[in-house]
Amino acid sequence: MLPWNYGFDWNAGHIIFLGAFYAVLTVVATTVAWAAIHSSSALRSGQAEAIRWHSDFESLPGSDRVCRHVLTGEFLDRKCQRAFCCGGCETHARLIERHPLPRVEEPEEEVCGMTFPLDRFYHRGHTWARLDRDGTVLVGLDELGTRLLGRPDLLRLPKPGRRVHSNGAAFRVRRRNAKVRVMCPVDGKVVETGSAERGWYLRIKPDSKNVQAFQHLLRGAEIKPWIQREMERLQLALTAEGAAPALADGGVPVSDIAAAYPDADWDAVCGDMFLEG
Amino acid sequence: MASVDKELIPRGLRRSSTGRFLLWILPWVALLVFGLYSAGLCLVKGLNQTNMDNRFAFGLWIFLDLTVIALGAGAFFTGFLLYILKIEELRSVINSAVVIGLVCYSGAVAVLAVDVGQPLRSWFTFWYPNVHSMLTEVTFCISCYLTVLLIEYLPIVLRNRKLHEVPSFLVFEYELHKVTYVLAGVGTFLSFFHQGSLGGLYGVLRGRPFAFREGLAVWPSTFFLFILSAAAVGPSFILLTTWLVEKLSRKRLVRPDVFRRLARISGLLLAVYVLAKAVDTLVWINRTSPETGFQAWQYYSWKPFGTWILFAEIVLFGLLPALVMLTPRLRAHTGWLVTAAAMACCGVALNRFVMTVQTLALPTLSFDPFLSYYPSWQEVGTFLAVVAYGVLVYSFSFRYFNLFPEERELRLEAAAQEEEELALAGGY
Repeated sequence: MLPWNYGFDWNAGHIIFLGAFYAVLTVVATTVAWAAIHSSSALRSGQAEAIRWHSDFESLPGSDRVCRHVLTGEFLDRKCQRAFCCGGCETHARLIERHPLPRVEEPEEEVCGMTFPLDRFYHRGHTWARLDRDGTVLVGLDELGTRLLGRPDLLRLPKPGRRVHSNGAAFRVRRRNAKVRVMCPVDGKVVETGSAERGWYLRIKPDSKNVQAFQHLLRGAEIKPWIQREMERLQLALTAEGAAPALADGGVPVSDIAAAYPDADWDAVCGDMFLEG
Repeated sequence: MASVDKELIPRGLRRSSTGRFLLWILPWVALLVFGLYSAGLCLVKGLNQTNMDNRFAFGLWIFLDLTVIALGAGAFFTGFLLYILKIEELRSVINSAVVIGLVCYSGAVAVLAVDVGQPLRSWFTFWYPNVHSMLTEVTFCISCYLTVLLIEYLPIVLRNRKLHEVPSFLVFEYELHKVTYVLAGVGTFLSFFHQGSLGGLYGVLRGRPFAFREGLAVWPSTFFLFILSAAAVGPSFILLTTWLVEKLSRKRLVRPDVFRRLARISGLLLAVYVLAKAVDTLVWINRTSPETGFQAWQYYSWKPFGTWILFAEIVLFGLLPALVMLTPRLRAHTGWLVTAAAMACCGVALNRFVMTVQTLALPTLSFDPFLSYYPSWQEVGTFLAVVAYGVLVYSFSFRYFNLFPEERELRLEAAAQEEEELALAGGY
């Protein structure tokens, strides 16, 4: 209805009524247009992977979003509000300054029969990053991640030259009914691809070798409590999927956990363990 | 087909097998087809297919419209509580509330389209509106709010596992989610007015003293009563549907605290509504009605519309559920909560029935007879089509979208509890 249409009269009632109606339409249209414009610019600037991680993170159960300082016992309960991007977290900076991580003398950590070398950084999505002498970063699956995926049915690695993003997909794996995106620990460009036999999957030229670029990754004394918690999470995920709990205290996970639980919904278990919502 | 179906189900959520799901939807599809046939007859042959006439111009369909729009108010009210008042607990039911709102409003608009007829001329209502009619405001607000609900439903759809893999959908959903509070605000504004206008529509009927009410400026008291009753019953309907889905799917979908919070909000608003309704009824009995030449008792001398209906509306389905929902000891029991919520929903349905059917059945002139109205099978068929459509949209949404974001977490918590019990039973 517009001023030149039938029934319209220039009086306060009509103007207020139509004003409110068109104001509502304008607000709704502007809101949708705003979302569309921002989406387009986010896609153009390559933020899709970061958005995917934020979206996944928001949909993770609260127990999967605990702060790294809960693992080391500095907090009893604290949920991460920054999607594990500790770089900009004031609490993390303050705590690390006050209580620097104790030095671990051993070259590797043995947890639940699995070995975690301490010469590298660990992403909470079960990948590791190790700075090589030539300035590149090797990216691989940690031992728990390897045992969860066993021998993959399909492995899709990015081609050399492709950019990868921290918390974005490093590579994709299919095992049984599970389609898993394995998360990348650092930002950079892929220079070489590896394989399970070589012990690593990607060699990346990182955007930065600065300590800030690795601040969100776990290391040293954080590894043991983190893996112990991950084992509890795995046990819960298996129980929730109807698999009999077989990882009681002192138990050691088998080399191919997926094969050991043929009836469990492996997609759901991997979704929980690899932090994919 | 089963593998495609499985791939669309959100990760980590358990749903019935494809075969069982098909079996579940089959009768609803049959009902929908029957309803569409009935509606088609009304559209093609005209309203002579119904039992409505010039005297009984509002029947089953308008009663249905008013009821589902009141019940669907849970969408706007939950959105308002979550995004504007920041009651975070309600995040676990907001998606379900949006789907329920969408089903209710789209169903109401579809039935209105059949009732008004000539759907190809539906744009006339915007181009040639009767600016003196409350129904114009209702039409404008409902069509605008339905658009808002469709936009609010979009992120729920785009979060589907398969669609989320498409970067442009993922990013658009994320950006749209950021501005949901604007849509929630707009939805609240629109709902507020059209719920009120639907009530006002009856309150201004000077020729129907049973419905006519005095009020504030141009708004009769029914304007405010309709807003209040819809806001009060919306959370109850969310509670009721969530509980029903939990029972049917045999899954825990939300924490008990959410049920209690919804009940408390509903109970509080229902109590205010009952008080306002009681005052309004007393004013109507003692002043408004006598001034129009009718004593209130006269309306209730036509059976079956005796005074029991007034008692049922205000006390049985108003005060009683409000008291149950406001009593912490009773609120702690899901059984009481669900019963109270169901009673509150029945109360609003009864109120809309009274305003629509009883108003038109009562004689207003000395030569007027008391009229009874029974809907034709075509009217009932169209009514049932809306019910079937609602069940189907909700069933598909529940299966393929994550309507209850805490569902996975609750399952993990149940697993943890199970482990604890096993450990205790094993003695370690």
